[in-house]
Amino acid sequence: MADNQTSLARTFLAGLWQENPVLRLILGMCPTLAVTTSVQAALTMGASVIFVLIGSNLVVSLMRNLLKPHLRILMFTLTIAAFVTVADLFLKAYQPAMSAKLGPYIPLIIVNCIIICRAEACASKNGLLVSLADAVGMGLGFTGALAVLALVRELLATGQIVFEFGQKVTLVSLPDVPLFRMAGMAMPVGAFLTLGLMLGLVKMVTGKRS
Amino acid sequence: MSKLRFFWEQSWLLLVSSLVFGVLLAIADTAWAPRIARNEVEKFTRLAGGMLPEAKRFEPLASKIPVDAGKGKTVQVEVYRAVDDSGRRVGWAFVCEGSGFADKIKLVVAADAGFEKLAGFGVLSSNETPGFGDKITIPGGFYQKQFVGAPAGTLTLVKTGDAERIDGEIVAISGATVTSQAVVDILNRYVSAVRAALQEQGLLTKE
Repeated sequence: MADNQTSLARTFLAGLWQENPVLRLILGMCPTLAVTTSVQAALTMGASVIFVLIGSNLVVSLMRNLLKPHLRILMFTLTIAAFVTVADLFLKAYQPAMSAKLGPYIPLIIVNCIIICRAEACASKNGLLVSLADAVGMGLGFTGALAVLALVRELLATGQIVFEFGQKVTLVSLPDVPLFRMAGMAMPVGAFLTLGLMLGLVKMVTGKRS
Repeated sequence: MSKLRFFWEQSWLLLVSSLVFGVLLAIADTAWAPRIARNEVEKFTRLAGGMLPEAKRFEPLASKIPVDAGKGKTVQVEVYRAVDDSGRRVGWAFVCEGSGFADKIKLVVAADAGFEKLAGFGVLSSNETPGFGDKITIPGGFYQKQFVGAPAGTLTLVKTGDAERIDGEIVAISGATVTSQAVVDILNRYVSAVRAALQEQGLLTKE
């Protein structure tokens, strides 16, 4: 029992840091670079990915003994596409502005490497609890990395952290100085630069540890 | 018989899963479709209302207007008459769409009461390139501003020119010529057709 709990905790924690999909496995780079212009967009993308990861991991884990090896990728894609469509419809219904802002990147979760990687590497080989722990850990790891990236970019590009729920709520507002008004940070160049620096920092930290 | 059995043995999980997921999606769609449609109507009213500030409500015409959407397709366009508090016509608005650089672009177009000048356009949905093509979505941005007061006829896209001058020439967004052209093409396709149909029906007479 204790071993099981340790294994579950290890699986959950692996997604947060040791096997963080963005910072360590370098997976899911498309949304990482594309939607991190604002913290709210990054968190919405993260929540959508967590929902899809949990759904697909649980379903794949349930059907793991029934999967034909040559049809498994097809089954994974079908499962993922169903959950992504539900997430997309939900956002269109309840978060229309955010849905419009994220545009094609929500439907593109279908081809996000993280989801199919976890279905293949974990859910198709493990029981429900391990698959759930893996989905939540990986999802939170992905969301955390996106949120940090978006925080840096939004602050340096606009000097503010703004959330919009019907009306705008400014959580942070920095002085109006050039350092916090770098338009390039909201553009692709800002995403590549920030992600590169974050990966370098992670490498430095993990390098020192080893 | 054995082939059929082999087919079933190999694919039953796929078929059953497709059925289950299909039902799941149908339930989700049925549950949220009215809300999604309401969101679209709200967005239309917000965008069209922004272009025609005097408008208090938008009344759909009794019949839709057929417009040639190219490739042999004809679409039925719902045209709305914008009226103020006293019921006086203050403009027209309708939704139109066409192919952009990445995906379909869906626009709300508004014109003045006589349908002589455009009141502008707003973007209902688009998936154009962030940082480039998506500049068409910026309300009051340099691209959208060129359409406010432009003649409700054929527009021409130019790569360089004076974007401040309001006429039939629209200056393209640099780095997004395809998207800029797409918007101009959509307007050219729909505006003249809608205007002609309204004229034919005698709906553009002064009130």
